[in-house]
Amino acid sequence: MTAPRVRAWHRVWGGMLALSVLLVALAQQFPQLGGFPTGLVLNLSDWLNAAVTPAFEAARPLGVLLSALAETPLAAIRSALAWAPWPAAILAVVLIALYSGGWRLALFAAAALGTVVAMGYWPKAMNTLALVLVSVPAAVGIGFALGALAYRFPRTQPALIVMLDVMQTWPAFGYLIPLLILFGFGPTAGLAASVIFSVPPMVRNTLVGLREVPPAIVESALMAGARPGQLFWQAMVPSALPQLLVGVNQTTMASLSMVIIIAIIGGFNDIGWEVLSAMRAAELGRSLGAGLVIVLIAVLLDRITRGFARRGPRVMQARWLLAGLVLALVVALVLSGQDLLPGEQGQRWLRRIDGWLLDFVAWSAPFFAVLRNAITYGVMLPMRIGFSGSASPMVWGFALTPEITAAYVLVSAAIALLLGWRSPQRGIIAGFAALLFWTGLPGFPWPGVFLVVGVATWRKGGTGLFALAMGGLALAGLSGLWVPMMQSVYLCAVAVLICFAIGGALGVIAAESDRFSAFLRPISDTLQTMPQFVFLIPALMLFKVGEFTALIAIVLYAVVPPIRYVEHGLRNARADLVEAGVQMGATTWQMLWQVKLPLARSSVLLGLNQTIMAALSMLVIAALVGTRELGQQVYVALSRADAGAGLISGAIITCVALVSDRLLRSRSSIHRKVPE
Amino acid sequence: MLKKYVTVAVSALALAGLTSAPVMAAEMGAAGEPIKLAMLEWTGAQISSQIAGKILEKAGYKAEYVTAGNYPHFQGLADGEISASVEIWLNNVGEVYPKVLAAGKVEDLGTLGLKTNEGWIYPKFMEEICPALPSWEALKDPACVGLLATPDTLPNGRFLDYPADWGSRAATIIADNNLPLTAVPSGSEGAMLSELRAAEAARTPLVMMFWAPHFILAEVEVGWIEMPVCVDQSNEHCIMPPDVNKVVWSGFAGKWPAAYQILKDFRLSTEDQQKMMLAIDEKGQSLDAVTTAWVDENEAIWRPWVDAALN
Repeated sequence: MTAPRVRAWHRVWGGMLALSVLLVALAQQFPQLGGFPTGLVLNLSDWLNAAVTPAFEAARPLGVLLSALAETPLAAIRSALAWAPWPAAILAVVLIALYSGGWRLALFAAAALGTVVAMGYWPKAMNTLALVLVSVPAAVGIGFALGALAYRFPRTQPALIVMLDVMQTWPAFGYLIPLLILFGFGPTAGLAASVIFSVPPMVRNTLVGLREVPPAIVESALMAGARPGQLFWQAMVPSALPQLLVGVNQTTMASLSMVIIIAIIGGFNDIGWEVLSAMRAAELGRSLGAGLVIVLIAVLLDRITRGFARRGPRVMQARWLLAGLVLALVVALVLSGQDLLPGEQGQRWLRRIDGWLLDFVAWSAPFFAVLRNAITYGVMLPMRIGFSGSASPMVWGFALTPEITAAYVLVSAAIALLLGWRSPQRGIIAGFAALLFWTGLPGFPWPGVFLVVGVATWRKGGTGLFALAMGGLALAGLSGLWVPMMQSVYLCAVAVLICFAIGGALGVIAAESDRFSAFLRPISDTLQTMPQFVFLIPALMLFKVGEFTALIAIVLYAVVPPIRYVEHGLRNARADLVEAGVQMGATTWQMLWQVKLPLARSSVLLGLNQTIMAALSMLVIAALVGTRELGQQVYVALSRADAGAGLISGAIITCVALVSDRLLRSRSSIHRKVPE
Repeated sequence: MLKKYVTVAVSALALAGLTSAPVMAAEMGAAGEPIKLAMLEWTGAQISSQIAGKILEKAGYKAEYVTAGNYPHFQGLADGEISASVEIWLNNVGEVYPKVLAAGKVEDLGTLGLKTNEGWIYPKFMEEICPALPSWEALKDPACVGLLATPDTLPNGRFLDYPADWGSRAATIIADNNLPLTAVPSGSEGAMLSELRAAEAARTPLVMMFWAPHFILAEVEVGWIEMPVCVDQSNEHCIMPPDVNKVVWSGFAGKWPAAYQILKDFRLSTEDQQKMMLAIDEKGQSLDAVTTAWVDENEAIWRPWVDAALN
């Protein structure tokens, strides 16, 4: 390595650092530089309500029409599923599984559905299935149409992509109130939310599928004299079919994850309702059972749709499947009207889990109290109130004397300079870290936040991103949500750090050991599909209401992407370069840090991106354990039926998500497909 | 159909004129159309709803139960998607209910008759470590407050408050009495119950806002803090037992007149509700079986309501 060159952007960031230090120093004297000045807060939500509520009420006739359109098939499917006796329904699903995925999948289907029956959740599970069977075709249809239109008119694509990102990151709780005004009480409002969330993967996969149709196929179709309609439906769509089916699969998964949102409104007595009721009564056993039903349905639908996407020989022929389904119908007719469901035994079994949990809590309370205090005092409080706030007799046991302040400044300046000598970039990063550690994330002076975010977005993403970031920050400040926003960022930042430490380590081990990887996969699947509400109960009992429990809930969900992406990146590191490392006699440790991880860099960055998205999406659920961030604001707005406030809080979360996504994406220039 | 009702109405009127009965019997109305009763999230409300429905069925109506979230369901009541909701805690109605009530889209049928309570509770074992309990003075004792302190609230003790979206007056009451406590919002009912169960299991101190009747009170033995005298009687500074009322859609009386009378008379005692809650939540019996049993055993209670409405 030669001597470091000082580039222009080093000067820019060096200047920013100096300016931030100045701001922090000034904020001691002028508190209006610390938090966003309350004098500037406007009553944005009232204005928004004045515009939004009448608009949605005016659109009510359209909403009533749409909800009639949605509820007719819903009621039909629901009563059909409720009519079909469970042995017949299971037979039909097992046959479909056999056709789609073979004997193992069929066996799994039988076991999974048998478990649902035994736990006493069959009728509720069927209601949930009815919701999915209505929302998925709607989402697939809309998504396919949008994707095809965007393919035909490429100019609309950039705007469409932004819209899809917004649809996926905007918390659904934030727009439930307008939907409720539009559609009235009932499952339609929830279905609409579910469709909004699950359309984007279908659009994306349609676009990818159509783009990747080989030109030869298009040309030969044209030479055969195909008209535009024929070209599209008879040449391009069949050729893009595998990718389209991937879209169907992801849309189904997204739709299932919204089951809980539909249940918040109620009106359908489904599994989501059961999860919410059990959470409300703080019953782990019942909520675990109901959550397991969702996981089983998700895995079944996933494997079956994936099986249809696969090409190749089938275990059985289509006509045998048809014959089998007719047989199932006969069984249904024979058995219909009889009460075949097992009694309350399964429910009683589930309730026993609660007793075990309480025994465990009583036994382990001292240990978890120590863990909670260690992380709260050591990590969370310093990141929230900073060194300047933590250095008090209450928290760390010593006061913030001028000597200690001087020592902190000297030590951090020395570290920054020392690192900066070798590489200016590291010096600047160290400087900012020291400054943040001093103020705590939420206490960083607001003009400094505008400045740092402004420069970063301007340099990485240009005017569009700059405008988005500044707009989001201004919205948070002007609507009086500056502190909740900074709290959200802080909570997510801590969660992402912990996720990367734990998930990264697990991913590294999984990349080395096939057995560990196979062991980890079902756990990851469960963590991602099990409704998060289920984890809240034990976390609450062990760690009490508050930020720490929220952190645990976020980490449990967001730890999955780093595991998957780190493993994926390491496993797919270029074999020739890895081989070269081995030839040079690198130790395992050196191989990991100096060869494989740098090679996996883009995959790891993508994993970081996904971790941030996952953490942000958990904010609203974490609010159920008592936090003070934006997710809580969304809840408060929901209970007050304040459409404006809900929309604003949701918009700020979306801005944070989009800005951090774009900032990281411009760093990882190589886009890769999502690994499974 | 309509003609038949008119005839019935006319003959009823004539009959009333002839016999000059003091009370005029109400019409059945659209008995063929199901009355949709809200099944809210908590067991107590589900019991009240099922019992109301079963009594209406005894009177010849069809009842249908719609699972519904507490806040969103007021929109449903206002639109008539839900016909009636028989256990509404007026201290927790959000902001839609007052609006639709003022607009005349729903009608308040008065009390359900539950004897309610609201206040600050603690697990009973705490009386050993804070001997001044149940008096509120215990919360001024530094030794007791020290046991309640957590990293987030130091040096104050931690007070577990209602979720932020329920609205709360703990902070004002704490300030009124200069108590060394910090109110922490709990986020959800499930969070409050988890904490109470864990506090009982692990014997960790806890003071929190709560209400009765509630099934958890049969499971965990708690004490109610004797509160200081209120600064004034306003809702901000004083905790008073909340009203629990029955609310129907504004078109209810016109569509099902007799059912309207029955629901107006409908009462449920706290003791009965608590017994049923215990049977369902602790003994694992089904909601349907427990409420059917109540209706079978208590005909003396509900028969007069049905008779008054029909005869």
